[in-house]
Amino acid sequence: MPADSPDKVIDRSAKLVFSFFLSSAGLWLLMAALLAYLAAAKLTDPFFLSSYEFLTYGKIKVAQANAFVYGWGGNSIFAVSLWILARLSQAEVRGSVFLVFAGVIWNLAITFGLLGIMDGHMSGHEMLEMPTEVWPAMLISYLIITFLALVIHRSRQVRETIAPQWFILAALLWFPALFLIAWNGLEINPARGTLQTVLSMWYGQSLVWLWLTPVALGAAYYLIPAILGRTIDKYYLAIFGFWCIAALAPWSVVHHLEGGPVPMWIPAVGTVMSIAMVFPIAVASTNFHATAFMDIGKVWHSLPLRFVIFGTLSYTISSYIGVVFSLPAVAKITQFTIINEFHFNQRVYGFFSMIIFGAVYFALPRITGREIPKAAKSFHFWTSTLGVLMLLLAYLIGGLTHGVLAGQPSLPWSSSVIHSIQPYFLITKFAFIILAFSQFVFVVNVWRIIFPNPFVYFSAENKEASV
Amino acid sequence: MSDDSTHRGNLPNDKEFSDEEIVKSHVELSKNKHEPTANFLLAPLVFVFVFGCLIFVCSIQLSHSTNSFQLHPPVELIVLTAEEKETLRLDRKISSGEKIFAARCASCHQANGLGIEGQFPPLAGSEWVSADPAVIANVILKGLKGEIMVKGKKYGTSAAVNMAAVPITDREIANVSTYVRQAWGNSSTEVLEDEVSRLRDESSDMQDQWIGSELRKMFSDSFSQ
Repeated sequence: MPADSPDKVIDRSAKLVFSFFLSSAGLWLLMAALLAYLAAAKLTDPFFLSSYEFLTYGKIKVAQANAFVYGWGGNSIFAVSLWILARLSQAEVRGSVFLVFAGVIWNLAITFGLLGIMDGHMSGHEMLEMPTEVWPAMLISYLIITFLALVIHRSRQVRETIAPQWFILAALLWFPALFLIAWNGLEINPARGTLQTVLSMWYGQSLVWLWLTPVALGAAYYLIPAILGRTIDKYYLAIFGFWCIAALAPWSVVHHLEGGPVPMWIPAVGTVMSIAMVFPIAVASTNFHATAFMDIGKVWHSLPLRFVIFGTLSYTISSYIGVVFSLPAVAKITQFTIINEFHFNQRVYGFFSMIIFGAVYFALPRITGREIPKAAKSFHFWTSTLGVLMLLLAYLIGGLTHGVLAGQPSLPWSSSVIHSIQPYFLITKFAFIILAFSQFVFVVNVWRIIFPNPFVYFSAENKEASV
Repeated sequence: MSDDSTHRGNLPNDKEFSDEEIVKSHVELSKNKHEPTANFLLAPLVFVFVFGCLIFVCSIQLSHSTNSFQLHPPVELIVLTAEEKETLRLDRKISSGEKIFAARCASCHQANGLGIEGQFPPLAGSEWVSADPAVIANVILKGLKGEIMVKGKKYGTSAAVNMAAVPITDREIANVSTYVRQAWGNSSTEVLEDEVSRLRDESSDMQDQWIGSELRKMFSDSFSQ
């Protein structure tokens, strides 16, 4: 019997953890899709399910964002980053039992958190709406997982680290930092007055920029060279891109407060920093696209890479749009409109999720040794592309319409302004249906690979191990 | 592993990188930034230029928009012409008078200024209102007693209208009488606060209310108009 290649050994060690986090991430994704549809449907028809108090718009909208970011985002980050770190360190995943245990706590905490939101125990802080009682459980389970990820990294074969490792490790460590700062400033020693609003908003936006974004960028830095078989073009820029994101992103997010009741310098500094964000965006996009476009045929034929490049292109384009919208002259129109939905959705659907889908389709066959049917993957790609484009365009054009009309005080509000953006809400509703369908296809794809025969999963694994 | 595999920069290939190769080749890349070339590299120059421009734009933006990092926004100076100021003053005076009327007068004289026939005299189109400003101001200051004729109808005043007992400032009187003189189709001149205080001083010794016919005789010029 020939000795297994080191990759095989690593994959086998990661199998349980990866399958657990990925299958729970899939369930959260479906949950978030359902909630997103309900929220969108309520915007077009206010009487839809209006007799259920726990399904009011304010609750499901918040529950959707939390289910998406912590449920789908958190679980898929754990799955993808543990595997990529193990592969790049050429070290096995250790302490699977603890990882699964922490994962169960994390998922239970989010479940109770969402039930708390539905029950009306929201905390009122952006992206921290889950009741404060579940925060310690989230933090502790997260720290266990991060600790074991660091253990993998610590036992790496090559001392030097490369771009994917920086981004993924930084994201893993930035989350507890953000969480503790927000927890301290909002609950333990609550900041007074305006500062609390600023902090709450800063946490909500930084979570996307310093947690979801770096993991997706790290995955792209790993997948593009791995699949194309060529090194990242202009790799020497990557380190500047990394430090620029670290230094500028937490400052740039406060530009969302433009026009809000805060001292003028806060959004002004945010605007300046978000203009400076052009640099890290340009670096990442040069790295990814200069490499990918050398061999565009291969990108097109490899489905995981097609997902990744869609994600990086969407990251580039929409980040630049975000920079333009942060300029005070433009923000005058777009502030306080549904453009905010555009920013959130492009980041979580158009960029983060697409790259994670690519990473999962790349990793899953290697880990389980079973191939996903090409047609199923392709179907998922096209439906999610269609859904994402529909959603983002509707929010973008609808948001601009909203801003231009709302800026004219002479127009009657409900009959003119609301009436003109109603069609865009209808489009987003259909986009969420398409996205829900496409995410359902993804989850079915994943579950069929992880559990080809649900009832003999563990015995099958034992058989494989004994062969 | 041969050296070829770590330097597959621009050559097309069908192979995928193994993880070991990814790490090795990128670590190599960060040590030797690029393969030696005869010419300078364009990309770093472009990035330095772009970053320089960004810093420049950002510093200008910062100095223009941060309001010197002060806590409160600057007070906006609104410069009005004399005419606009006058309109604004009159608008404020009338809207203040409207509030006073609604609170203190409208229960008898009614919000539409028509009064109640036989009980409370109308103000809309009343010759007592449109007469000399001193008439309405005096009535509010001291009240009326006896019978009066308003718009050809007779009204007997009740003993309750003893205005001396009602605390009302000169400014309130000026505002409310200006409002009354310009509402419901009335179009008489403004009543000034100074004029009201002059009248208050003049009638400070008076203990009793005004008698309608007496007041009418005093300002007979303006009544006849």
